[in-house]
Amino acid sequence: MNIIHITLGILLGGAILTYFANKISGVVRDLMFISTIVVAAALFFIKMTPDTVAVFNLGGITLSLGMNHLGLLFSIIILGLAVLAGFYSLPYMKGKDNLGFFYMNYLLSIFGMMGIVMSKDLVSFFIFWEIMTWSSYLIVVYNGNKANKIGIKYILFSALGAYSMLMAIVMVYSQLHSFSIADLSAGFTTMPASYQITIALLLITGFAVKAAMMPLHVWAPDAYSNAPMSYTAMFSGALSKMGVYGLVIVFVTMVSHLPQNFWVRETIAWLGAITAGMATIYAIFQDDAKKLLAYSSVAQLGYIITGVAIGTEISMIAALMLSIVHGMFKANFFMVVGAVERQAGTTDLTVLTGLIRKMPWTFFSALMSAIALAGIPPLVGYVGKWMLYESLISNGNYILVIVIFFASTAGFLYVFKILYSIFLGQEEPEFENVKEAPALMVIPMVIIALLLGFFGAFPGYLLKYIDNALVVMGYPVSQGKWWEMTTLFNAWGNKVSTDLIMYTTITVFVTIAIVLFYRWKNGRYVSTKDISLSGEMPKEDENYSFKLDFYKPFERAISPLLRYKISKYYNEFADGMEAFFDWTRRIYNGNAQTYAIYVITFLVILLLIANNIFTV
Amino acid sequence: MDFLIKTLGAIATIIVAFIVGMLYMGINRKITARVQNRVGPPVWQNYIDALKLVSKKTSVHHGVMQHLAPAFLMISSMGTLLFIPILRGQSWFPNLSYHGDLIFILYFMVLGSLGMALGAGQTGNPNAAIGITRGLSQMVGFEIPWVMALVAMMIQYHTTSISDLMAIQQQHGWLMFQNPLAFLAAILAMLGMFRYSPFDIVGAPAELASGPISEFGGKYLGLMMSSGSIFAFTKLTLYVDLFMGGASNIVVLLIETFTLYLIPMLYGLVSPRYRTEQAIRYFWGWPTVLGLAALVYSVVI
Amino acid sequence: MVGSPVQLIAIPLFAAFLIPLLGKAWKELVRITPGVVILYLLYLSVDLLNYTIEHGRVVEVIAGWTPPWGIDLVFSPFSGFLATLMLFMGLLVWIYSYRYQTFEDYDDYEPTLKYYLLLMMMITASVGVVLTGDIFNLFVFIEILGITAYGLTAYYRHRDGAEASFKYLFIGSLSSTFLLLAIMIIYSQLGTLNMADIAVKAHELKPVYKITALVLFLVAFGIEAEMFPLNGWAPDAYSQAPAPVGAAFAGIVVKAGLYTVIRLIYTLFEVGGTYEYLIVMGLITMFFAEFAAFSQTKLKRMLAYSSIGQMGLVLVAFGIGKEEGVYAALFLMFNHAIIKSLLFMSGSYLVYKSKNKYISELNGVGKMMPVTSFLFALGAFAIVGFPPFAGFWSKLAVLTAAADSGMLLIIALILSISLIEVIYYLRVVNRIYFVKRDTDLGITKPTPQAMFSMLVLGAIILIVGFYPDVITGVLHKASATLLDKGSYINDVLSLSQTIN
Repeated sequence: MNIIHITLGILLGGAILTYFANKISGVVRDLMFISTIVVAAALFFIKMTPDTVAVFNLGGITLSLGMNHLGLLFSIIILGLAVLAGFYSLPYMKGKDNLGFFYMNYLLSIFGMMGIVMSKDLVSFFIFWEIMTWSSYLIVVYNGNKANKIGIKYILFSALGAYSMLMAIVMVYSQLHSFSIADLSAGFTTMPASYQITIALLLITGFAVKAAMMPLHVWAPDAYSNAPMSYTAMFSGALSKMGVYGLVIVFVTMVSHLPQNFWVRETIAWLGAITAGMATIYAIFQDDAKKLLAYSSVAQLGYIITGVAIGTEISMIAALMLSIVHGMFKANFFMVVGAVERQAGTTDLTVLTGLIRKMPWTFFSALMSAIALAGIPPLVGYVGKWMLYESLISNGNYILVIVIFFASTAGFLYVFKILYSIFLGQEEPEFENVKEAPALMVIPMVIIALLLGFFGAFPGYLLKYIDNALVVMGYPVSQGKWWEMTTLFNAWGNKVSTDLIMYTTITVFVTIAIVLFYRWKNGRYVSTKDISLSGEMPKEDENYSFKLDFYKPFERAISPLLRYKISKYYNEFADGMEAFFDWTRRIYNGNAQTYAIYVITFLVILLLIANNIFTV
Repeated sequence: MDFLIKTLGAIATIIVAFIVGMLYMGINRKITARVQNRVGPPVWQNYIDALKLVSKKTSVHHGVMQHLAPAFLMISSMGTLLFIPILRGQSWFPNLSYHGDLIFILYFMVLGSLGMALGAGQTGNPNAAIGITRGLSQMVGFEIPWVMALVAMMIQYHTTSISDLMAIQQQHGWLMFQNPLAFLAAILAMLGMFRYSPFDIVGAPAELASGPISEFGGKYLGLMMSSGSIFAFTKLTLYVDLFMGGASNIVVLLIETFTLYLIPMLYGLVSPRYRTEQAIRYFWGWPTVLGLAALVYSVVI
Repeated sequence: MVGSPVQLIAIPLFAAFLIPLLGKAWKELVRITPGVVILYLLYLSVDLLNYTIEHGRVVEVIAGWTPPWGIDLVFSPFSGFLATLMLFMGLLVWIYSYRYQTFEDYDDYEPTLKYYLLLMMMITASVGVVLTGDIFNLFVFIEILGITAYGLTAYYRHRDGAEASFKYLFIGSLSSTFLLLAIMIIYSQLGTLNMADIAVKAHELKPVYKITALVLFLVAFGIEAEMFPLNGWAPDAYSQAPAPVGAAFAGIVVKAGLYTVIRLIYTLFEVGGTYEYLIVMGLITMFFAEFAAFSQTKLKRMLAYSSIGQMGLVLVAFGIGKEEGVYAALFLMFNHAIIKSLLFMSGSYLVYKSKNKYISELNGVGKMMPVTSFLFALGAFAIVGFPPFAGFWSKLAVLTAAADSGMLLIIALILSISLIEVIYYLRVVNRIYFVKRDTDLGITKPTPQAMFSMLVLGAIILIVGFYPDVITGVLHKASATLLDKGSYINDVLSLSQTIN
């Protein structure tokens, strides 16, 4: 009985108890839910030491769980977000149906994720992976909206990934007669080359689905936007990182041993970059905040995949840094949209307008997340991006840099679009009575927003954990070489001082702000209807906000790229398969004579060819 | 003491940038007028304008984001200025130039635009929002050749530091001759960066009533003008540092920056405005090809 | 050891005669007696299974005629495991059927009597099939099994049931014919009907006879085992029979059919190519059945096709051979019996009031029948192999076995079929829980008995899922027994030497 049993036990037990607590009363359920997360997280961070091990024997298979620094890094993302999003969830989900069911699956998916990062062997990895998958699936379809379309798409791709993984797992077993991950990394080189490459590719496929890599990403936008936002914060922030976690392991322990001529790294890095580019473009043209953020998540994961695939020291640091930071700002962004959805009743960007004065704290969180997302200094978002560029340039992937840079710059477009459409623009009577979200929702958001700033000045606090994690994976210590507490270095020794950047920014900002606030009384606030518009004054009920066809010129400029939509090919494939299935169904035409003919024909054929297939 | 000197140096840098930037704007106005067969305002007209705007008694705003927009703008213009070397090989105005590199600068320069965009967005003026979407779209356009040019130089000399690049140019000669393709791509990108005609689609006086800034008046407009002129000087200095080896003293710096400044200005005088998608496609045409060629060139070298 | 294997056959046969008489005394006894009998048999069987696992197989001769002349019953860990599984499922089906409401619509006494008699005899016949060591005796049990199954399929006296029953009868009689032909060939050539004896003497057969007999056997047993393309009868029978009978078909009858194929290939004839034949036919069966299941609009038909598909997978697992393969196959059979029965049981209550049993009529039923829906969803999750439910471990076992033999293509095929399975099962679960109710069909609460047996099955799914070791020990023993052909022959034939 050690901390691993305890953490997993609390999460699993808490999930089941929460479900039954729902039968007693809503308050008990909420308390059960939040205390499960908080207690599990607190105990975990207090008690957990690397090298803790727990072993189970099930069905003749040894399942071993343990913890190392890589797992610890991802546990921080998972449990940190779980606590914040958990508190956020209480007011957000209030009054919805089936909350016991929702919270149970919420906890189960955390249970699954924690299990994944603790798994020391492939079978328990797979078990927890599937628990995570189906519990998240149940949340994706939870609100019943197009369950059979969105949900099935999600589960189909997830199952595709999971089964690729399973195939790889049994292939490993057939070669090494062990499921242990340690044995796998030790014995990988002893396998035949064909097995090596197949196993690596299958595992990559499995993880790439969760990390939403093109062309396996088509489930993501719908699934992200369809789940309740308090879960999507986890979904996009932490759950997708499990794919990254897997990719890190695969690339470090396997792909690095593959012969160079398979181009695995290059292919995946390029797929990641293309994912980033295309998803960004699609994000720009979304008119629903959830969808926009969903595509944006896919795009951001693209950068991370590229970083992992390149696999140099600094690109790994960059990828892990981006993972953490993406977890923070994207969770925050989804929470913002959730808050807006709850308070204003819609997430349609063409309807929402002018909420900044109604929801100032929400706007503040959104602004900070947006700056971090766009990778603009001084917030922490740029640390990871900076490192990614440096790694790509010093590694010789010049065209890749351009693609990523394009995606990143185009990212400004949707960042502005979402901020502008929700919070800025003309204030409308329709949203006059909108209030700021409840404190329990605002506080987690503001905490993340402030953390984004803090880590922007002192990225070393995060890089320390990343360093530990990479040392476990066999990389040399990076502190001092690639970063100090407040300084980043690239391969050629050039540096960026994050603290000075932060101080400069604050100094300039505060100075000018003082200038602006000087003689504040002279300033006069006027409503957004009081604008200069060719001498016209919009009436109260007229909305002059610019909403529709937001980036039409940009759309026209890149129209050739938009012509290819991967989901079209998938749909055609699915239709074809369905038609084929329906055709095979007709073999069973319900006619007894036909069946008898089948039997006789089969007998005759078998008799005819028996001598060829059976050897006496 | 050291800190005090540095602070004073930074302030001096900013003042110089402000004065020079404003002067260039004034000259621009004058030359434009002459080309259009007008007399035009005197070159110091901009100083007067700025003074007048800042000293206006009342200022109208639509909310806190608009109120703070000039502050955001200043972060980019002043901040960036502090992180790039003004003069080569001298202890004058070193500021923070050893604490940031090119990629950082590239991103830092955007913060102001974002703040400005949000401020303009809050005004509720549709023209402002339209102008901003155009501006952002155009930025995606010109950033591509610009980054290509920068990456080409980075890989040619294995550094991302501006000071290092300047030092290297001391030995090998100006980069505009070492990698002319990169220079050309960067110059074409600069046309977009300065937003003069034919790329003045953001402000587009005729159709958008000057776009983003249409709701800004009084001290807001004054600060934005100042920021704009500082930023113009910042960008010009960056180009000089990167392609002309930096200037050894302030006079050379002025000559070099002004020469560069003439390029977008004169190109603008003879070109009618593009539509947004034309502008983007323009940048993804020859400038990008040049950028790619620069990349190839520097890999081969 | 409390009893001998003979009792497993003799007691229910005797009870079958008694039941009508008991019914004259008190009508309820007609319902109760089969249950009591099956419960006792289960106790007996479990006890025997424990004994055999420790002491090896029990061979029992009937009427004192020793093999190879007399009829023998072989209770080995393998056959005993199957017999125990069948009896256990039989007990649950009996509990489920107890006062199943549709039966009460026929208020008269006779249909009830028929139902319970037939059900008991069907279970007995299935047990007989797996236990018998004599090939003609096997034929007899298969006939009993068939006749009871035809009767139960047509239990509702309506057109569709009669048609389904007729198809079953038609194809089933083809099976009997071929089987009899094959037995004739064997007997004419070898002069023996005892399986062990045949196995010993099989090499004396001329190739042409051997091959012909093999093919006839394969087709005859293939019909029972629902192998493609011989399984046309199955979907109709499954879906037209009363719900508990559907569960019994999936949990009991088809296992007996599979057993015959396995006994034929593993013990009776040692012919090259049969394992490959199993794999290929298994895959084809699986593919066509799952494709068909994917496009079904009626719940029970979907479950029926899915059941066939699972049987295909079991065949593949047996075809892999070796201990891992057999172990995986037995594990699959166990899981399939538990899970598919649960699906049939809960599924029929979900569409109880519906006339056509369309899947679309399930929309939103989860709110109205929470427990039943939950059990159905649990079954669906388990059968597609999501951990931590029972189905996962058997799927893992199959894949590991296949990987051990280097059959990567087969793994890929199995997994891609699983994808289809995932889709069509979760489509149904989605409808139950996440789609709004759009019909005004009422619901019928399951009887407490039915709920009890479903809950037992659900509990087993969870227990095996979280702790598979409860079952794996027996499975390993059973699979080792099946592969040890020499000891089977020895155990059976040595009886004659010791007695004589």
